[in-house]
Amino acid sequence: MADDPYAALGLTKSASDAEIKKAYRKIAKTDHPDLNPDPVAVERFRAAAAAYDLLKDPEQRRRFDAGEIDAQGQERPQQRTYREHAEAAGSPYARSYGFDGDPDLSDVFSDLFGHRRTGFSQGGFERRGFQQGGARDGDLRGQDYRFSLQVDFMTAARGGKTRISLPEGGDLEVAIPKGVRDGQTIRLKGKGGPGMGRGGPGDAYLEISVAPHPEFRREGDDIHLTLPITIDEAVLGAKVAAPTIEGAVNLTIPKGASSGQRLRLRGRGINGGDQQVELKIVMPQRIDDELATFMESWRKKNGYDPRSKMKMGG
Amino acid sequence: MTRYYSETEVVTLIDELTPGRLQAYLGAHIVEPVPSEQGPRYREADLARLQLVCHLSECYQLPEDSLNMVMSLIDQLNTARGDMRALIQAVAAEPDEVRVRIHHSLRQIRR
Repeated sequence: MADDPYAALGLTKSASDAEIKKAYRKIAKTDHPDLNPDPVAVERFRAAAAAYDLLKDPEQRRRFDAGEIDAQGQERPQQRTYREHAEAAGSPYARSYGFDGDPDLSDVFSDLFGHRRTGFSQGGFERRGFQQGGARDGDLRGQDYRFSLQVDFMTAARGGKTRISLPEGGDLEVAIPKGVRDGQTIRLKGKGGPGMGRGGPGDAYLEISVAPHPEFRREGDDIHLTLPITIDEAVLGAKVAAPTIEGAVNLTIPKGASSGQRLRLRGRGINGGDQQVELKIVMPQRIDDELATFMESWRKKNGYDPRSKMKMGG
Repeated sequence: MTRYYSETEVVTLIDELTPGRLQAYLGAHIVEPVPSEQGPRYREADLARLQLVCHLSECYQLPEDSLNMVMSLIDQLNTARGDMRALIQAVAAEPDEVRVRIHHSLRQIRR
């Protein structure tokens, strides 16, 4: 302990008994070795605890102040830390911390560490599950395999089957679930490496990357598509065939449609999502004289300015 | 060899512990000594646990149900820490190539 027990508590000799208690409590709250593993905190706590042990008894404090005893020999007889017991293998208070229910990791976890009891201790003195149920030596769950798998946009959107080759030879048919997303991982239970002893096989994990599609884009469960239409379809309105992930559907273009206008095909996306169709007016490849002449005369009477509300530069 | 303590010894050894408090902690299953015909027998782990429980209850004035919750969290943390320590030791004993692979995997998963 420091030579000056008052300093260890951040006090001076003039401190009252209440102040001593308060100062110790304050340090103990933050620096107890079971609550704060920082070595500096541990040291601070030990010094404060030893100081408090010396000073909390008024008679002992009087004798120390009078110089009859010194701060030495006042170390706590035995400061037990719970942590070393609780961390130790076979601790009676070992407790599950969240992997038992994990669908992906519980097998690997129990292979390594066995089972512990879960939750709060309210079941009396039961000893269910302490360290038992784990693998015996020689039993080891098989290796997990991880693969990257690129699937095309349509397979990802609609679901489908593909094959992958396995490291130990052979291949495996994989069902791609409908609507799988880019970056998503698919778990194939029991399709990893074989186990040893009584250990079961590992799992295979496929990290999916979805190749882009030339027309469709995916946003959440919605599919986005830019649909080119002709100038006459835009002016007069029309029924046109629009591609969707499940095949073409009829789409009504309203009379006077503009480029950039969005139409929604409800339920034509993925898993209940919609398809959003953005119209894009495409000019004919060649502007013939008839069209040009018509436009000139039309403009004289019907000129309009779609940029009237737009701020021009500067 | 495991040393066991009786209830009387436990109360003597831990300053802040009174027989009444000990009974309350037993009732709340905050501490679970080994039952025997001569009454509950306490291990070193139980002693250390009781000392921490007393500390928490003094410093933070925690009622029994909160104490139980805090101790459950502390147990989860300590068990995880013990497992992690074992895992790190096991990894440390592996040859370089294995450790490099694990290192890369971890970087990937926890990037």
